[in-house]
Amino acid sequence: MMNVEKIRNDFPILKRKIKGKDLVYLDSGATSQKPESVIKAIDSYYRESNANIHRGVYELSVESTRMVDESRATIATFLGARFEEIIFVRNASEALNLVAYSWGRDNIQKGDAIIVSKLEHHSNLIPWQELCREKGAELRVIEVTESAELNLENGKIEQLEDKGLRVKVGGLRDLIDDKVKLLAITGVSNVMGTITPLQEIIKEIRKQSLGVKVLVDGAQMVPHMSVDVKKLGADFLVFSGHKMLGPTGTGVLWEKKEVLEEMRPFLFGGDMINEVKLTGASWAGLPNKFEAGTPDIAGIVGLGAAVEYLKKIGMDNVRQHEKELLEYALKRFRELSDEGLVTVYGPENAEVRGGAIPFNVKGVHAHDTAQILDSFGIAVRSGQHCAGPLVTGFGVMAMARVTFYIYNTKTEIDYLIDKIREVPKVFI
Amino acid sequence: MSDYREEIIDHYKNPRNFGLMEKPDLEITEANSSCGDMIKIYVKKDGEKISEMMWQGVGCAISTAAASMLSERVKGMNEKELLALGDKGVVEMLGGEVNLGRINCATLAYRGLLKAFEK
Repeated sequence: MMNVEKIRNDFPILKRKIKGKDLVYLDSGATSQKPESVIKAIDSYYRESNANIHRGVYELSVESTRMVDESRATIATFLGARFEEIIFVRNASEALNLVAYSWGRDNIQKGDAIIVSKLEHHSNLIPWQELCREKGAELRVIEVTESAELNLENGKIEQLEDKGLRVKVGGLRDLIDDKVKLLAITGVSNVMGTITPLQEIIKEIRKQSLGVKVLVDGAQMVPHMSVDVKKLGADFLVFSGHKMLGPTGTGVLWEKKEVLEEMRPFLFGGDMINEVKLTGASWAGLPNKFEAGTPDIAGIVGLGAAVEYLKKIGMDNVRQHEKELLEYALKRFRELSDEGLVTVYGPENAEVRGGAIPFNVKGVHAHDTAQILDSFGIAVRSGQHCAGPLVTGFGVMAMARVTFYIYNTKTEIDYLIDKIREVPKVFI
Repeated sequence: MSDYREEIIDHYKNPRNFGLMEKPDLEITEANSSCGDMIKIYVKKDGEKISEMMWQGVGCAISTAAASMLSERVKGMNEKELLALGDKGVVEMLGGEVNLGRINCATLAYRGLLKAFEK
C-alpha cells in the first residue's frame, strides 16, 4: 500500500496556498506535479555536472553523457525495452510527429488506410489526418459508445470527406481490412479515462491486416499503470515525461529496434551522424540517429529521477491507488447526478477507467465551473481537452475535468464535491 | 470570485440584444478554440457607424456578459472608436478585472465585431 501523506510531503508545491486556500490539484492529466527528488536532480545537474554530451573527452562531458545514458537505461528497464529503443523527444506530440513524418511518409501510400479512435487527443489525430490527406490514404475512426468505450463490433458507418481527406467512422469490425497499414490508438483517454482493450484490438487487427504497424499513445497510460512493451504487442509507444512527475520538455518514443533501423531520420544535424562529407552523410546508430542536436539534458536527468521515484512506489500501487480514488469519486459524483446537479461522462466501471472524470454542472459553462472551483483553491481543467470531436460528440461544447495522481486523497474529493455544490449558487 | 460581479450575472441571465436580426447588413461568426464557444453577431450599419448589434450563441458567463454589454456599448461607434475600445476597454467594461485564462472568453464578441470593418 501507498503512504499518501508521505508522498505528499515529497511535493513542495502541494504546500502552496491558492487564494488563501490549500491547493487541491486535480489536473495531473494535463501535467503532473514534481517531487523534490526530480527538482533536486535537475538542480544538481546544473550545479555540478553541466556540459554537453557525446564526444567530449573531459570529465564533465563524460559525466553528463553517462547521466543521459543512465536515464535511458532506467526508462528502458521500466518499460521492459532495449536501451537503444528509447528515443528522447520533447513530448508525446513530437514523438507522434516523428513517426508520421519518418515512418509514415515512406510507408503510407495512396489507397492505404490508418485507423485511429474517436478517443484520440488531437496530437494522435491531426498528424494522421494530414498524412492521409497528403498521400490519398483513408482515415478510419473507431466510434465510441455512450459510455465512451470503443465499439469493437459493427456499428453505424459514416463517410465524411473534406479537402481531399476521406474519413470512415464505424465499429472496429467495419474498419479492418488488408488496406490498413497503421493502427494509432490511445491506451487511456485523456478526457474520459477509458482504458482501451489494446490486447483485444491488436490481436484482432493483426489477424486481418498483415504487416500492420501498431502505435500506442501512452501519454495517459505510462504514468499510471505498469506497461511492458514486450507484452503490449505494439511497434511504437509514445509518452510525455511531464505527465509522470518529470520535467516539461521531455518525452519518449519507444519503438521496436527492427522498425527504427529501417526508418530514415526525422531531424538532421549534429550527434545523429556517423560520417559527413560535403556531398552527404551517413547516420549514427540507435538511438542517436533520432536525436539530432543537444537534447534537454537536465530534463532527461530529471525524467530518470521521476521514473526512479515511480519505480520505488510501484506502478501496480499507483494504479490501485488511483482506482480506489476513482471508485470513491464516481460514487460521490453519483450523489450529485442523482440530485440533478451534474452530468458525468465516461465508463462507470473503474476496471476499464483511469483516473479521469469529465463532468458539467447543469446550466453552467465548464469554464465558469473551473473558475469558481479555482476560487476555492481547486485546479481542474475545462474546455475540449484537445479532443474536440469526442467532447462535441457528447452534445456539449465543453466539459470540466478532474484527473488524479499518486498525491490525491479522498479528503480532496470530498472537498471538491462540497465546492461543486457551491457552483450553481453563484448564478442564483 | 471577483469576476462574477452582480452586473455580469445580470447580463448573463438576461442577455441584451440577444437573438436573430432580420435583414442584417453583416453576419459574423467567431469561435473560441479552447472551449468551442461560438458566437454569431448581426450588425446593422448606418454609413460607417454600427447602428445596431444583435447576437446569438451559447457561452460561459464571461463571454455572454461581454457580448451583452458590448451590444449596448457599440451603438453608434465607427471603426476608429471600436478599435480604440480595445481588449482593455472590454475588460474595463466587465469591471476591470478578468482572469488571464478567461481573456479569450471576454473578448470573443469583440474579436468578432472587429470583422465588421474588415474590407
